[in-house]
Amino acid sequence: MPAPAGPDRSGGAGVSLRLAWRTILLGILGCGAAANAGHAAPIEIRWVGNGPSAWVEVVGLPPGLGRALPPDALLVFAEQESGAKIPPMAGTMHRDEARVRFEPRFPLVRGLRYRAEFRTAPDATPLVAPFRLPAEAVAPSTVVTQIFPSADTLPENQLKFYVHFSAPMARGVAYRHLRLRSGSGAEIELPFLELEEELWDQPMTRLTLLIDPGRIKRGVKPLEDLGPVFEAGREYTLEIAAEWRDAAGRPLRERFEKKFRAGLADRDPPDPRRWQIRAPVDATRDALVVDFDEPMDQALARRLIRVETASGQVVSGETELTNQERRWRFFPAVPWSRGDYRLGVAATIEDLAGNNIGKRFDVDLREGGPRRLEEPVVRLAFTVQ
Amino acid sequence: MKSSPLALGLLALGLLAPSVRAGLTAGMQEGKVELKSISQLAFGPEGVLFIADPKAAAILAVATGDTAPASGSATLRAEAINEKIAALVGTKSDDVIIEDLAVNPISRRAYLAVSRGRGPDAVPLLVRVDVQGQPELVALDRVRFARAELPDAPADVAPAAGRKGGSPRTESITDLAYADGRVLVAGLSNEEFSSTLRAIPFPFSRVERGTVVENYHGAHGRFETRAPVRTFVPYRIGGEQHLLAAYTCTPLVQFALSELKPGARITGKTIAEFGNRNRPLDIIVYQKDGRDYLLMANSSRGVIKVAAEQITPAAKSITAKVSDTDGLKFEKIDWAGVAQLDRLDARHALVVRTGAGRALNLETMALP
Repeated sequence: MPAPAGPDRSGGAGVSLRLAWRTILLGILGCGAAANAGHAAPIEIRWVGNGPSAWVEVVGLPPGLGRALPPDALLVFAEQESGAKIPPMAGTMHRDEARVRFEPRFPLVRGLRYRAEFRTAPDATPLVAPFRLPAEAVAPSTVVTQIFPSADTLPENQLKFYVHFSAPMARGVAYRHLRLRSGSGAEIELPFLELEEELWDQPMTRLTLLIDPGRIKRGVKPLEDLGPVFEAGREYTLEIAAEWRDAAGRPLRERFEKKFRAGLADRDPPDPRRWQIRAPVDATRDALVVDFDEPMDQALARRLIRVETASGQVVSGETELTNQERRWRFFPAVPWSRGDYRLGVAATIEDLAGNNIGKRFDVDLREGGPRRLEEPVVRLAFTVQ
Repeated sequence: MKSSPLALGLLALGLLAPSVRAGLTAGMQEGKVELKSISQLAFGPEGVLFIADPKAAAILAVATGDTAPASGSATLRAEAINEKIAALVGTKSDDVIIEDLAVNPISRRAYLAVSRGRGPDAVPLLVRVDVQGQPELVALDRVRFARAELPDAPADVAPAAGRKGGSPRTESITDLAYADGRVLVAGLSNEEFSSTLRAIPFPFSRVERGTVVENYHGAHGRFETRAPVRTFVPYRIGGEQHLLAAYTCTPLVQFALSELKPGARITGKTIAEFGNRNRPLDIIVYQKDGRDYLLMANSSRGVIKVAAEQITPAAKSITAKVSDTDGLKFEKIDWAGVAQLDRLDARHALVVRTGAGRALNLETMALP
């Protein structure tokens, strides 16, 4: 990191400013000040430190004045764009004999102008000391690293995307920087479920982007009026603009796009009995390989599948999802032992269209059929030979 | 909770539970409220403020002590409230997010949930606006409070060791309300497409971890799907406490609070369709000339006013295809750019809405 330049303090007029103010201040102080007229030290307001934890002090006060000052004698303002009347910054004032000090409660922000004001009476002309930490010129480095699903053909009732970033991002502006375009380049109108909260993980490196379920669910208004977001056979591009800022305030290094084609709608709930399980060999740490018959939701496939012994004890190990979220592999922490095992799959796992085990994303009541699977975990047996 | 003659009688006979006898704040601990994040706010009785902390998956109940009744009908206005808050916390207005607004129904003072910063290190703050329209930080260092942890996420079946950095699953809290001794919390996961509505008895007890239900949206009687609740308001219909909930996709639905039972699966009765391009934000109930009304802020239509007398136990459920809007009759009120809405007093609403440039203004509006 390059060394920051020195803070911008009142245009370099420090000495003359403080002498001039001393004269005014002594005038303001009236009788008390007159008694201290022989006090030689200059009265000075100054910023101490040149980083976000900088603070302000007024020194050279006549002895005893520091403690006698009102709590609002020294105020700091964080200047804002519109010029509306603003309150002073929150912080703590410390007073002693000949000095007052103000410590802001929150760290100072680079690039913002601050103004410290010291006055001895509400209507007195203040001593003023501006301050600004120069903005750091750091080259953009954050990028989109991955978008799930990773397949290039998605069902036309695709429900979710997970957008992964290389560093934490800024919240509250996502939908300004996301675009969905058809093959002709035309922007699709209102494709996303826009939630002010935005669905981030804790480190804010993964955003969950939901397609507006109103345009997937059959029989609801948005789908009937605006039509589906995706139509089978057509090409689409999900774009992430480079202007989107990361948590440090820097734009992305480059824009990102994911191109894909929409396939037929998927209204078939996932069924683990259709999955292929390739059992590993005894005394190895070879992977248990499970091939799904369709791509699964990436985050849920990572979280909602486990390996158990025949007695139900969870086997620890590492999982991996490959082949465009169609293949799940499990590497045990210790070598396999000969015997029977089970794969446990939570029924809440979803395919790309949000169908659960035993339950479609939207249930057509006229068709009857299974509406709910009571078993929360489906188990599939396999044997290590 | 106000004491009625009946309650006083029961109290004398020793028939009421200690929590009722002692008031809502009696069992609270005193100390520092640690927030990891802040999103939704809601006031209960006795100046108790409920605060959602989605990062910690917790609801805090804070005794604000702000229990002196307001006198008269004060109007509140703060131009560029986002800049004023930014100035107070020493940052740029762009780095201030106003997450929610709640008016204390006793003192009529406005409280704002604020995040200082947009990244994972954002600082959660509770801000109160004084009568001059200036914000002040509400100190949470030494207050009486209680905390309810939200029930665990649906069981992760994969061992955490298989995933680096812990579970990326989080749950946003999309709305919060207090009704009939329960705190109601709507949540939305960032992984499973599921919305939960939890009812947590208040005062919080150590063992009760709330009720989780799945909400379904019955669309025109034919399809039903899991549906995320965006905002809701408690409302009595035919003497029974109900919730009127606006879903993220289109309609307004109603269901009885008594349906919120552990593991329940409830389907809301669709009572209004407000048409397309409509994202509900906030909903309040108020009275005017002896009649009840609902007022709903949304992203595209200003605000929507509905005469609540249309909502009866026998009100029609929308079961057929509709051309644009259907069900309850409603009126569009031209309040542009409303992002947050709460009731200020019997005649006024308080809103946060877009002003000049990037400013957000806090404004008092006469209830329509």
